[in-house]
Amino acid sequence: MEAMTPAGAATAEEDLVASEYLTFTLGAEEYAIDILKVQEIRGYESPTLIANAPPFIKGVINLRGIIVPIVDLRIKFNLGKIEYTPFTVVIILNVAGRVIGAVVDSVSDVISLTGAQIRPAPDFSGSFDTKYILGLASIDSRMLIVTDIERLMTSADMELIESSVA
Amino acid sequence: MAIDMSQFYQVFFEESAEHLAAMEALLLDLDVDNPDAEQLNAIFRAAHSIKGSAGTFGFTDLSGTTHILENLLDRIRKQELGLRAEMVDAFLECGDILRGMLEAHQGRGVVDQATIEAICGRLRELSSETAPLPQAEPQPDSFSAPAVPSSQPTLSGKRVFDIQFVPTEISAKGEGVANLLDELRVFGEVEVLNRPDAGENVGFWELRLIAECDREAFADQIDFIADSGAWRISEDQAVAVDGSTAFGFFEDSPGMPDDERGYGFFEPVGERTVGEIAAALEAGSDDEGYGFFAPLPAAAPSPVTLADGDGYGFFEPLPAVASAPAKQAVTEEGDGFGFFAPLPAPVSEAAKVEVPASSPVITPVAKETPSPRAAKAAPAVAAAGDSSIRVSIEKVDQLINLVGELVITQAMLLQTVGQMQESAPERLVNGLVQLERNTRDLQESVMSIRMMPISFVFSRFPRVVRDLSGKLGKQVELKTTGETTELDKGLIERIADPLTHLIRNSLDHGIELPEQRVAAGKSPVGTITLKAYHQGGNIVIEVGDDGAGLPRNKILAKARERGLPVSDQMTDSEVFNLIFEAGFSTAEQVTDVSGRGVGMDVVRRNIQAMGGRVEIESMLGVGTRMTVRLPLTLAILDGMSVAVGDQTYILPLSYVIESLQPQAGDIKTLSNQARLIQVRGEYLPVVVLHEVFNIKSGWTDFTQGIMIVLDADGTKAALFVDALVGQHQVVIKSLEANYRRVPGVSGATIMGDGHVALILDVSAIAGLARNTMQKAG
Repeated sequence: MEAMTPAGAATAEEDLVASEYLTFTLGAEEYAIDILKVQEIRGYESPTLIANAPPFIKGVINLRGIIVPIVDLRIKFNLGKIEYTPFTVVIILNVAGRVIGAVVDSVSDVISLTGAQIRPAPDFSGSFDTKYILGLASIDSRMLIVTDIERLMTSADMELIESSVA
Repeated sequence: MAIDMSQFYQVFFEESAEHLAAMEALLLDLDVDNPDAEQLNAIFRAAHSIKGSAGTFGFTDLSGTTHILENLLDRIRKQELGLRAEMVDAFLECGDILRGMLEAHQGRGVVDQATIEAICGRLRELSSETAPLPQAEPQPDSFSAPAVPSSQPTLSGKRVFDIQFVPTEISAKGEGVANLLDELRVFGEVEVLNRPDAGENVGFWELRLIAECDREAFADQIDFIADSGAWRISEDQAVAVDGSTAFGFFEDSPGMPDDERGYGFFEPVGERTVGEIAAALEAGSDDEGYGFFAPLPAAAPSPVTLADGDGYGFFEPLPAVASAPAKQAVTEEGDGFGFFAPLPAPVSEAAKVEVPASSPVITPVAKETPSPRAAKAAPAVAAAGDSSIRVSIEKVDQLINLVGELVITQAMLLQTVGQMQESAPERLVNGLVQLERNTRDLQESVMSIRMMPISFVFSRFPRVVRDLSGKLGKQVELKTTGETTELDKGLIERIADPLTHLIRNSLDHGIELPEQRVAAGKSPVGTITLKAYHQGGNIVIEVGDDGAGLPRNKILAKARERGLPVSDQMTDSEVFNLIFEAGFSTAEQVTDVSGRGVGMDVVRRNIQAMGGRVEIESMLGVGTRMTVRLPLTLAILDGMSVAVGDQTYILPLSYVIESLQPQAGDIKTLSNQARLIQVRGEYLPVVVLHEVFNIKSGWTDFTQGIMIVLDADGTKAALFVDALVGQHQVVIKSLEANYRRVPGVSGATIMGDGHVALILDVSAIAGLARNTMQKAG
């Protein structure tokens, strides 16, 4: 939230600088994440199970020699139909020096948003904690949930990182 | 342009550590009664290099301490002081303190100022003692020999050096030149004859030093700050009165010998004087006058002498005296050994000055240099240009990873072709076979980059043995073999501590005191053998001693005392393995060397953490041998792949004892919870992998699956899996890099089909078995 309401004269300038965001859908909701955090997008391949991991951690895959954990955000946030088809996509994220794969329903497009276009989200309670939401943006009639993906993925909720590290 | 010196710190630390290690090795090798001059020089050079670079980088504490060390070394080197064992001890101790200081500068640990003071004081004390040794060679007479026509009075004992150099940019900008001047002032009077333009130290410097010392005393300092090779020291026999700074000689008109300043190289004085040479020449003797002689007006008084002279010396063109007939005579007599060429030695612009045509005496023969200095310089140059490079370990690891990828891709291709069976074109199959061989070779050579000879570890042990045997009053000789055996750098770093412990143990508990040894009919000097060799895919390191051996009865008694489950029927190796139990010690008294019982269990744990094993063989009164077996590298593991449901797991082969298919009724329960299986008369706890990992298994019936008997840290357990798949060498990948630690899993690997397989943590699984047993019991 702080990032959205910086004080001072610099705000106006910052508001005009557009950043690119990748948008994807989970169920009926559309999310936007900073494109610089995205390493690549690839099809889903069945991962190797990890014993006793929470259900939304699907396992690990071999991404050109790197062992990458795969998180299904649909399971985590209880959104959309959980099925794995040839069209299921995995967004490979590069956050906090780690490589993590996130399964989503579909990837829509890449859009530019200026700071001014992102409006603070109202406080609400839900599975998707507002602390991971940078704000809301509307493009045409679509509402985009602009997400701090790094904060989300490194949070203790995701159980991706050793609790002592997180 | 300010240079951030901190970027070179790491190199400095590494180099200094190497110098210290070299110094220590040389010191240990040194024969105290009859030290080899070359070794002493090498030690001095090591100390000097540390001092020089420490000064440049501003580590004044390091340079200060080394300076004192160097002073003492220098006196010994010059035979002003005799070498004594206590000096070697002090040097070694000083080396340790320097190492500590280096580490402190790297942010590891602190150095007690008092210890530094103490060692400095000790070194000073040793250094200030008066010279007990007579000068090996009496100082030759000064140059008042009649052969020297110069009437310049020679300062008694003083020598005049002309020093010319171009400093490197770094030393010029920093304190380098100023430090040099300070250092030179220590030797004697310094006069700056020529300095570059004000402000900038970069450029050509010319100094004159009037001192009593040899040129060697300060040559190193100049070499250090001068641009590669751009320095020169020449010695004036006579103090030039007019202070002429000419060093390109031929511009001086002939006939002005007094102004002629030596540009030649004088042999370290003390070997020969000009006068002697002159006399030798006149006598036509074949005495080998070597070195470069500068104005030698008297040396060629007669053409005849030179014409048939066998003088080996390098002569200055002698423009002043050599008369035309003399020149002719020399030119005709082609056999003369005299080289009338300008100096071929250390390059300086001035030295390259073309000799004017008016001097026809030049025979450009300069290949055979009889100067011992030149000969000595050669190996030094070779060492400097050592054909190795420093590469960061990350780069090497990246290379290893990439090659690992290549191997996987290649395996994938091979598998695909295998599935095509007959339909695969033959050329494709052949090509893939070749690719397989090439990738394997590539992998091997890439792996070998990380390999280092085990001498890196072994080299520290002579010191350990020396120190400890002295402390314990034992006489011990350390024999090492197989120092060139190579193993992974990661293992090298981790094996050092366990090995040190084993050696300390052998020294303290194994080797007896000299009297006891003599009483037992052995030589009073005990032997510890350290041996490394390859065996199969393992490296084997043996630590053996010819000491008392392990007392079986004592160990058993001690074990009973501690309430360990032991019996007299246990085999020797089982009994000996008890010493690896935590807190186990049979030492009658705790010394500061060992005996507290911590250690051997840590040794075993460390070695097992590296995927290795340690075994003991011992015979009472004859000796003990500890054998450490390690995998060649940490990056690759010999694994057995097992299937559970649709998942594949890798078990490190070193933990697997056997596998068997259970018969109906083999499985018993304990308190209706823990399951046991009887294998060769032993009841082992059963770990059912699919239950532990909560995955679906193909089998529920034990008789349809496979039991794998595992031995982890002495705990045996039977692991139930669906099937054995095969045996592979797998490349270990970290799971924690992008995820977190998973209980029961030690890592991951990529199989030939590109899938990830998890590597099981056998110790954790055996621990699980123990826990269920405890719960049930």
